[in-house]
Amino acid sequence: MTTTYHPLVKRLLDGELSLAELPPELRAEGEEALRLVAAVDRTPVTLSPALEQRVMAAVRRRAASPGNRAWRWLNTPRDVELRLRVRPWTVWAGALAAAAVLALLLGRHAPAPEPGFGTQARSAARDSVFVRFVLYAPGARRVAVAGTFNQWDRGAALLVPAGTSGVWTTTLALPVGQHQYAFVVDGARWVVDPAAPAVDDGFGRRNSVVAVTVQGAHL
Amino acid sequence: MRTIGLVFTLVLGSTLTGALSAQDVRAQLDRRVSPEVQRAVQVIAADAAAQGLPVDPLVQKAIEGAAKGVPGDRVIAAVRVLAGRLGQSMAAVREAGVAAPGGDVVEGGADALNAGLTGRQVSDLVRVSRPPHDPALTLRVAATLAALGVPSKQTLALLQGLISDGRSPSDLLGLPGQVQAGVARGATPAQAAAGLARAAGGAPPGRLPDWVPPGQRKPRNPHKP
Repeated sequence: MTTTYHPLVKRLLDGELSLAELPPELRAEGEEALRLVAAVDRTPVTLSPALEQRVMAAVRRRAASPGNRAWRWLNTPRDVELRLRVRPWTVWAGALAAAAVLALLLGRHAPAPEPGFGTQARSAARDSVFVRFVLYAPGARRVAVAGTFNQWDRGAALLVPAGTSGVWTTTLALPVGQHQYAFVVDGARWVVDPAAPAVDDGFGRRNSVVAVTVQGAHL
Repeated sequence: MRTIGLVFTLVLGSTLTGALSAQDVRAQLDRRVSPEVQRAVQVIAADAAAQGLPVDPLVQKAIEGAAKGVPGDRVIAAVRVLAGRLGQSMAAVREAGVAAPGGDVVEGGADALNAGLTGRQVSDLVRVSRPPHDPALTLRVAATLAALGVPSKQTLALLQGLISDGRSPSDLLGLPGQVQAGVARGATPAQAAAGLARAAGGAPPGRLPDWVPPGQRKPRNPHKP
């Protein structure tokens, strides 16, 4: 059990206050604390020489173990002098090749996300603007928007129904630029946005077009 | 010996680039398109990359077709057509004096060509797109206007006029929506675009303020008896 004394009582125990300086309501607690402290056995403890020898023997054994020696060898700082003899052009060629590989790895497109995993803009470095998509689709069980901004993933951006009015809506952050898209109703029916311009998609269908600027989206 | 080393380094670098590009295409198409489409698109993309064309639009088109449930042979055909358009676009953009155009510009040019603009018109739009205008954006707007039914000559004139008047890139991006709104009010796409040109402060360069595209009737003046 732990006894928590009043801060003034703790100051009494530390010798910063006298019992008389405590408020009357704390004096009983102060007297109790002083009594407990006085009851503690303060006789100096003397350890036997045999115990000291046993402890020191254990310390020496531990210090002499192969594992500890290996760790000390690995962990002790040392001065290392490395001398290379190279032709300057090989250094430059190597540096250029390394820079090219690094630029390719960093600059190229990231690996394609798993189908159905989130919305990926084709250029994430540019500014993004929130764009609200709305479709009137009474009777639909599921509506999504797929386009160039999410790799035409039918499951990446689902619209939610606004009550029971048949209006479905969602808001996406799109990078600045022009994007093509279409709504996907019930996972199979591709529907152009009646409120946006539409262009030929190359497959005999139409894609809606939204132009996103830093001022907002233009349909 | 030194020359051999340098050549070896360069060859290694270009080989590595090609390998990474092929890996990239394969990774993007993996599990998104059928194996048949994947193989065909990889070949088309490799050819395109060898010509310095952007590969991403081809991959995106394949993914779009597969997502829409389009049969594989039609997806491959569409990707092949797009690759051809990208090549024509690259030539048109280079004709405008851009030696090494970015992928976005080439893709925008391909969209414009696909919508009915000619290579020369693509070149003209690239030439007129001086900063702050981005040629890629101008070409995409032109593509959308043409796809909406605005004649390509009128599309070119409208964009040239607005850029010359100092209109911002955002103004250009809003054009397709305004044409769409005009069409919704009963105008033809050409009339809607002509209205925009007039509202923007004048007709296209070299035209009178009441200019309307050939074949279009001038709007009736309500103040005239």
